Amino acid sequence: MDTAIDKDETPQKSTAAAVFQRVTETVSGVVERRTWPKAWYIAFAISCCLVVLLGISLWHLFFTGIGIWGTNNTEGWGWAIVNFVFWVGIGHAGTLISAILFLMRQTWRTSINRSAEAMTIFAVMCAGIFPLIHVGRPWVVYWMFPLPYDMDIWPQFRSPLMWDVFAVSTYFTVSLLFWYMGMVPDLGTFRDRAKSKIKAVVFGVLSFGWRGSAKQWHRYERAYLLLAALATPLVLSVHSVVSFDFAVSQQPGWHTPIFPPYFVAGAIYSGFGMVLTLLVPARYLFGLGDIIKKSHIEAMCKVLLLTGSLVAFSYMTEFFIAWYSGNPYEGFTFFNRVFGPFQWAWGIMAFCNVVVPHFFWFKKCRTNPWIIMGLVLLVNVGMWFERFIIIVSSLTREFVPATWDYFVPTFWDAATFLGTIGMFLFLFLLFLRYLPMIAMSEVKAATPEAHADHHGTH
Amino acid sequence: MSSLDRNQTQTYWRSLDDLADAAPELKKIIDDELARDGEAAGDGPLSRRRFMQIMGASLAFASMAGAGCRWEKEEIIPLGKRPDNYIPGKPKFYATAMELGGVATGLVATAYDGRPTKIEGNPQHPSQGGGATTGFAQASVLNLYDPDRSRHFVRKGGTLPLDASWKSFQRFAAEHFSKLAQSGGRGLRFLSEAQSSPTVRALRAEILARFPQAQWHEYEPLSRDNEREGTRQAFGAPMRVALNLTQAKVIAAFDSDFLIHHPAALKNARDFARGRRPDDKVMNRLYCIESAFTATGSAADHRLPLRSDLVLPFLLALEARLARNPGASPKGAFLAEPEVAKFLKVLASDLLHNRGKAVVTVGPRQPATAHAAAARINALLAAAGRTVVYYVDEDPERVPHTADITRLCRDAGAGKVHTLVILGGNPVFNAPVDAGFKNALAKIETSIHLSDNVDETSSVCTWHIPRAHYLEAWGDGRAFDGTYTLRQPILEPLWGARSDIEVLAAIAGKTETPQELVRKTLDTVLGPATIDGTLRWRKAIHDGFVPNTAFATTTKAPGPAPAVRLTASQNAGTRRANGDLEVVLVPSTATFDGRFANNGWLQEMPDFMTKLTWDNAALMSPKTAAALGIHDEDVITIKSGGRTVDAAVYLMPGQAPFSIALAVGYGRTHAGYVGGLASAGIDPPGVDVYPLSTTKSPHIIGGISVSRTGRTYKLVGTQDHWKMDKLGMAEREERAALLIREATLKEFKQTPNFVDHMMHVPGHGSLWQEIKYDGHKWGMATDLAACIGCNSCTLACQAENNVPVVGKDRVAMEREMHWLRIDRYFRGDPENPTVAYQPVGCQQCENAPCESVCPVGATVHSSEGLNDMTYNRCVGTRYCANNCPYKVRRFNFFNYREFLDNPKNKVTSLQYNPEVTVRSRGVMEKCTFCVQRIQAVKIASKNDKRPIRDGEIVTACQQACPTDAIVFGDLNDEHSRVRKLHESPRAYAMLEVLYTRPRNNYLARIRNPHEDLS
Repeated sequence: MDTAIDKDETPQKSTAAAVFQRVTETVSGVVERRTWPKAWYIAFAISCCLVVLLGISLWHLFFTGIGIWGTNNTEGWGWAIVNFVFWVGIGHAGTLISAILFLMRQTWRTSINRSAEAMTIFAVMCAGIFPLIHVGRPWVVYWMFPLPYDMDIWPQFRSPLMWDVFAVSTYFTVSLLFWYMGMVPDLGTFRDRAKSKIKAVVFGVLSFGWRGSAKQWHRYERAYLLLAALATPLVLSVHSVVSFDFAVSQQPGWHTPIFPPYFVAGAIYSGFGMVLTLLVPARYLFGLGDIIKKSHIEAMCKVLLLTGSLVAFSYMTEFFIAWYSGNPYEGFTFFNRVFGPFQWAWGIMAFCNVVVPHFFWFKKCRTNPWIIMGLVLLVNVGMWFERFIIIVSSLTREFVPATWDYFVPTFWDAATFLGTIGMFLFLFLLFLRYLPMIAMSEVKAATPEAHADHHGTH
Repeated sequence: MSSLDRNQTQTYWRSLDDLADAAPELKKIIDDELARDGEAAGDGPLSRRRFMQIMGASLAFASMAGAGCRWEKEEIIPLGKRPDNYIPGKPKFYATAMELGGVATGLVATAYDGRPTKIEGNPQHPSQGGGATTGFAQASVLNLYDPDRSRHFVRKGGTLPLDASWKSFQRFAAEHFSKLAQSGGRGLRFLSEAQSSPTVRALRAEILARFPQAQWHEYEPLSRDNEREGTRQAFGAPMRVALNLTQAKVIAAFDSDFLIHHPAALKNARDFARGRRPDDKVMNRLYCIESAFTATGSAADHRLPLRSDLVLPFLLALEARLARNPGASPKGAFLAEPEVAKFLKVLASDLLHNRGKAVVTVGPRQPATAHAAAARINALLAAAGRTVVYYVDEDPERVPHTADITRLCRDAGAGKVHTLVILGGNPVFNAPVDAGFKNALAKIETSIHLSDNVDETSSVCTWHIPRAHYLEAWGDGRAFDGTYTLRQPILEPLWGARSDIEVLAAIAGKTETPQELVRKTLDTVLGPATIDGTLRWRKAIHDGFVPNTAFATTTKAPGPAPAVRLTASQNAGTRRANGDLEVVLVPSTATFDGRFANNGWLQEMPDFMTKLTWDNAALMSPKTAAALGIHDEDVITIKSGGRTVDAAVYLMPGQAPFSIALAVGYGRTHAGYVGGLASAGIDPPGVDVYPLSTTKSPHIIGGISVSRTGRTYKLVGTQDHWKMDKLGMAEREERAALLIREATLKEFKQTPNFVDHMMHVPGHGSLWQEIKYDGHKWGMATDLAACIGCNSCTLACQAENNVPVVGKDRVAMEREMHWLRIDRYFRGDPENPTVAYQPVGCQQCENAPCESVCPVGATVHSSEGLNDMTYNRCVGTRYCANNCPYKVRRFNFFNYREFLDNPKNKVTSLQYNPEVTVRSRGVMEKCTFCVQRIQAVKIASKNDKRPIRDGEIVTACQQACPTDAIVFGDLNDEHSRVRKLHESPRAYAMLEVLYTRPRNNYLARIRNPHEDLS
């Protein structure tokens, strides 16, 4: 077929009111339409099955023990933490797009920020599952939180896992607030357009009595700006803290000061990869070509190119330092990644994260949705393998060769991971179905027509 | 709690027989009723109708005699007053003894409230290595609580437990054997495993007097009879050959694992280590010539891998050289091979050079001629009385085991045997195939087997009598040097089992209790008592042995060398074709000869060399396998004559070329839920290799051909060495040199602190003020020069610290739980590498990397510098394990105590040490430096208001170590041994470059190679 981006995007000249009207119609139409694309139903059915799989996996896990996974004495973390870091990484794009790009006045963000934020929240939910379930005794996992306790025992604040608890929970809270607050005006629109009583009541409650008065708009924008400023450091901090889990330890391959920036770059890379993975098909299915423009997709591809290059640069730095430091253990770990038993995983990672982004130098690769989909899926795979390499290949061969081992995942490792993918999709599909997937008010504010009165043509 | 008196009033009944005794008027009725039942039962399965009749009758009788009781009644009477010296929860220690292969070992059992939990060596016993223990002794306590032990007597044909009991056996024995006595015991035979017990011996004499035509046979599959016969050849009378290694400067071991598989292994190991003190510049030199790589071989300074059947010509050539009689030397082609020739030349000159301080020892599987040659060589070296001691065998008339069992089978096959009493052993499983024991047994009308469980032999006998564990029964025995050793029971038999002495007494028609019989033996040993024998009896029981009761020694000179006919194979070269291979059956480190097959601790204990668990394998050198086109884990068919065995191949560096080693004692079908139980569908670990063993060549089998079956089999070890990629192997070799630092004695003399020059360690220092440990500062030192990798420490740790067994599948996933593991590294040529061991438990780092990463503070530092684990607080993030560079932390991936939910298995929990928490699912655990033992001593010293003496605190690993390689103590005590060892120039910390400041230091290994061979 012809490229969807080009076909949907027929520039139309009209007045601001008409443009606003069309935005409202398009976005609300997604939720209000009677029949939904078959693809949505198929995807929803699949995601439901996977959620059930997640439930079964957790049930089995809680009743049997961590031993159902492939972890062992040498390799204590395995897929659970790989998945945790993977999902936290994905959870980066949303807040980055909403907060940092907002502060940088990148107006193209408006078409994607709502769904990116939703994605962030769902990804962090998926991520948050793992630290809670991967512990040996999940029934006392609350000991990791600083709760008042009659024995006066507190968590140990020197442990990076403790920092994780704070970093991830803060990030989740702020992201949720940010996402919800941004949605309030649009929920008001939904309430106003509601045809059934129930919808009117539900959206009425959800929109907190939004009337759209100038005073409300004023307060809203101030609060939004403040939250954006608050969320910005979190984007950088949360994955830095996650990287401390590794950097603060002393294992070769983990104990590396480059980890915080390297993890953040990787997180943004994987986050944008996931945003594109979700939005390219959604844009096509729901006919949102007018709003999520070709240029927006392209911009995101460029971000992938940039962050992918940063990631590749980090890899090179790691290798250089491993050699330059003269630390034989560190040196072997990196040598072992490339030539050791996990060579295959390293190869996948290197291809997906180092080679793949460079396709985005070509305009065709940034505009053809099929090519984009193929590439961003590889980005997702590559970033999962990056965490796999860091965690598994380092741990299986560290200081004492007598303890060296190989890691083989079990069915339940895969089932749990697939389950969280299902949960992520499930939540996202529901979001598409019931909530405004595009920030109407912001898109309207970003249209050239909105500024016509003040600045002439944009 | 004492079981001193067996004749207590019985307050509850166990079976109808007991009841019948209680109510004599019922006895007749029951006997009549059961006699009819017996007929029916003997003919085949009971009919349902008949079963109901019997049950009905039984219940009726029970209610008549037992005052209407239906269940077992037990009266529990609380003690009104605490018995003297008994404090609940405080352990008591009893001297006792265990017998293995006809040699008793003096032990001390730790018992809490009457249940033994731990076995240690008897430190005062003169024939042993202090308080050390072998792995088998350590693990034997688990056998006591083995849920698969028989709980009932079994009589063939009967399906109801009513049919057989001790009472009914006694009745049966009285009747059966008095009938036999009339005929003088014609057709009556006894088959015993090797037993050194003088009480058994006395009973045997009485029985043979009562039944003059009866015969007594003895059989052990791993017998030391070749040594007996060899010394008989050399001296005219059989001897027991003991080594005195403290005097030895040069030791040559021929196919001899004298540090592990030897009745005096503990003493040998201790003496061997005492002769290797590099700090005092005292170093003996060990040469090993052997086919299978043994722990002794790994301790050797020089090792020559040589097929077992070539050891004899090698010995003869050595003898010829030492006697300066080159004409007498065999002319075998292999002797001309440069490696062998050079080894022989250097060995001969070194031995001669150290005349009077040298010794040659030959392993039990070598033929008698080899032992005779060794005796002559030792005479040439003037070793007798110095480095080797010959004890006069107390039973010179005894026929060798294989000949003995062959005779029995022949007679039984000819219908000359109608009653066979088998005391222990498992001949159906482990007798040589060509003896045809099983077929012979089928022809015997009445066969009575005394054994731990219904094993391969019991299941085809007419009577099975549960055999009492050594901790349950009175007994005695003789140590390797002959010292009279007593065995006292710690508890009543758990399942009403009976000992050999009781069974023999019943047959002999004696009424004394076993205790009285043993006491009578003691009186014979000590001579008549002057006043009252009670005091000396109590002292002997307390000590566990009677001093100065060793066998007589002799320094007889051996006779001249007879002409020895060598086979064609013994004259050929070392390179062989398929069809001319050799199989060597070796004792298993896990099951011994199969008897420990149902012991989970032993099954999961990694083999010293292969590190395999839960399996035996066909061990082959990499080159041999390559020449035969065989790969690691291929299942091969091993063919000898018409008999075949399928086994998986494990490529074992250092295995002699074209020789295959197979450990015996696996593949059992009637061992239990651990060792294999065919009736329950439990596959056994490993394969049974006894089918290759014949009476002619029981352990060294030539003319073997192998072929691939095309199948592979997953062998599971705790170290994955030879499946590693090249990159990993190169790195491992590099790192092993830093982990296990070693030097030759010469290098060590030149540079005593060579360990400091092996790796550049950047100048360290903490940014923070380092913690000062003002009170105690516990530390450990592990001497790698002494470690022989024998696993005793690991097993002792397992017993002391309630370490669970996880099973083969989980070991395959690297989830074994041993707190103390022994790392083993090879170095050099894979065909003849050197091996180094390193026991690694928690290093108790002062800067512990595990502590700072725990989010809940479950692992914390004590003021005495211990890295403590708070199990209750652990949530199981496993971060600590990830951050531990030594990888000593162990995680409970599952609930490893789930098997206790089965009521049948509950008994196993009696073994648990009450001083150590039993860990739940999901928590981390690791070595604690036996903190419970530290606390016990601290409390005791505080009560006595005195400081803790150095050496007072002994960790479990240290206590079990035969070579004294592990030393524990207070580093703040300037005079403590551990402090001195930490200050030794050989001391280094594992991975010191990380600045974890471990409290355990290793002392570098020193080898003592001969200049001309290195």
